[in-house]
Amino acid sequence: MSENIISLKNVVKKFPVGDGFFTALKGIDLEFEKGEFAGLIGPSGSGKTTLLNIMGSLDAPTEGQALVMGKDIATLSHKQSALLRNMHIGFVFQVYNLLPVYTVFENVEFSLLLQNHTAAERKKMVMDALEWVGIENQADKKPAKLSGGEGQRVAIARAMVKRPEIVLADEPTANLDAKNAHAILKTMKQLNKELGTTFVFSTHDEKVMGYLDRIISLEDGKVVKDEVVEAQYTV
Amino acid sequence: MKLAFQLAYRNLMGAGLRTWLNVGVLSFAYVLIILLNGILDGWNEQARTDTIAWEFGQGQLRYDEYDPYDPFTILDGHAVLPAEKRDGLTPVLLRQGTIYPEGRMLSTLIKGIDANQTIITIPTAKLKESDAALPVVIGKRMAESANLKEGDEVLMRWRDKHGTYDAAKVTVAAVFDGNVSTVDNGQMWMDIEKLREITQLEQSATYYIASTDVPVKAEGWTYFSQDELLQDLTDMIEMKKYSSSIMYGMLLLIALLAIFDTQVLSIFRRQREIGTYISLGMTRWKVVTLFTFEGTMYSILATIVGSIYGIPLFIYLANTGMGMPELSQDMGVAIAERIYPVYSVGLIFSTVLLVVVSATIVSFLPARKIAKMNPVDALKGKMQ
Ligand SMILES: Nc1ncnc2c1ncn2[C@@H]1O[C@H](COP(=O)(O)OP(=O)(O)OP(=O)(O)O)[C@@H](O)[C@H]1O
Ligand SMILES: [Mg+2]
Repeated sequence: MSENIISLKNVVKKFPVGDGFFTALKGIDLEFEKGEFAGLIGPSGSGKTTLLNIMGSLDAPTEGQALVMGKDIATLSHKQSALLRNMHIGFVFQVYNLLPVYTVFENVEFSLLLQNHTAAERKKMVMDALEWVGIENQADKKPAKLSGGEGQRVAIARAMVKRPEIVLADEPTANLDAKNAHAILKTMKQLNKELGTTFVFSTHDEKVMGYLDRIISLEDGKVVKDEVVEAQYTV
Repeated sequence: MKLAFQLAYRNLMGAGLRTWLNVGVLSFAYVLIILLNGILDGWNEQARTDTIAWEFGQGQLRYDEYDPYDPFTILDGHAVLPAEKRDGLTPVLLRQGTIYPEGRMLSTLIKGIDANQTIITIPTAKLKESDAALPVVIGKRMAESANLKEGDEVLMRWRDKHGTYDAAKVTVAAVFDGNVSTVDNGQMWMDIEKLREITQLEQSATYYIASTDVPVKAEGWTYFSQDELLQDLTDMIEMKKYSSSIMYGMLLLIALLAIFDTQVLSIFRRQREIGTYISLGMTRWKVVTLFTFEGTMYSILATIVGSIYGIPLFIYLANTGMGMPELSQDMGVAIAERIYPVYSVGLIFSTVLLVVVSATIVSFLPARKIAKMNPVDALKGKMQ
């Protein structure tokens, strides 16, 4: 049990809608071990994003228990959940969400600024992360000047720079062409291998599924299938 | 804190034109506040100095029957002060008279003063130097309104002790140029001994000007210290300050409104960014602090920008002075033709404090909303 990095027990999420509630997650039980490369798939509205947000402590379950790094998400203070995200969880979004006024370097550096690192340490860590994703020569550019593929690489570098235990990626390839999508997935898979980072995706994308070691199917807020698969692409 | 400041700075620099517009308006408010107050302080200082030099001396001992605000008290508002009390005091006797320059009739206040006095700046020495039978000195305003110049003679009529009219020619021995209209407008200064002689008011005086600030006590007379005498002037400057504060208050308000508006808009437009900050591990209150400091940063940048063009302007004006319009010359208080602004440390410090604190507050107010934001909704950018 204790080696499970994420542990969801009967997680229910209800959103207030009008006078009543809409139940987006209807009792999810899932365990993730360290180093998994797993994906949530399912039709639109099945609850993938909602589940990732709970795993990332951006949202709390209405019922049930979500343990992330041994911490019960529902009981964390704002400060504690911020600390959890800052130290242990990296996010990659479909729309990258880069900070427009910052350079690539500054975007990646951001979460390190919230930690205690010297400028020299930060520089080394940022340049390492940019190297992992292969854009170390774009460090001084503003996000607006990047291509979509480059933008998502920056987002991955930003998620990875602090070497988190968990990376949560919500449809990271939805805005990318096939070539860039493959490149990014390869990069992430490599980081998963080298650093042992746990990756959990949400995706519709066949290409993503080709890289996954485990595919969890959601439908209407419930897990309908959870299987370990042989990844089609390897690195 | 330090991080929030650095980030606020980066964000503002990244926002470009809008930042500089806000900074520009705010810095303008800054410069205007300091300048207007500086002018009023400069005026106050100049007016006090001038009024002391030309009119009040170190204090005045006034006969109780005389009320400077009531011209009807001039006739009987004089008395003889016991001789032993007169040490260090310069007597002034007031009488009403009429002059007839170029056939016009002009009522005047005749001020008899000891011609040997040196307490006030009125050039009474000229009264002694003149050979004329009845020499007078007048100020430039009087000279202008009566169309008189040095050496001119003009017929003057007055009433003596018994109320009998008498008339004689007076000679303008000198025209003096001072900023204090209350010793100038409608007035003629002559030797008190001559005035006493022609009115038969031997030994009489309306008030005395003190050369040192030692309150004199005498039955029927009241001593006014310099501060008491300057009270009117002080009140008037305070009034001016108050009314001009409304003006720059409006300007500051506009500048603050621009910041407020920018903040409201940016909190709406930058929801994704706010969500991103939170996903990267900032607490919501840290984000509130960041957005608040962006407002503070406007005021800091405005201080810098305002200094860049304000300081040279302030120095220039402090050296060359500001010309005052003709009109203000007749306001009844001492206004120089040029006023040299004075900027006190207190003025500058309190202005900076005012601007920084108010800019921080107006950006905090909308930023508070962030604390209630749901990070998931913020990331979707779908708050209303
Ligand atoms: N804040 C909310 N208020 C009300 N309903 C919500 C809210 N957030 C999500 N939902 C609903 O919960 C359900 C699950 O949403 P979620 O975003 O998790 O789906 P998803 O599987 O990620 O879909 P997609 O593939 O389109 O991204 C949807 O029906 C959605 O409308
Ligand atoms: Mg989704």
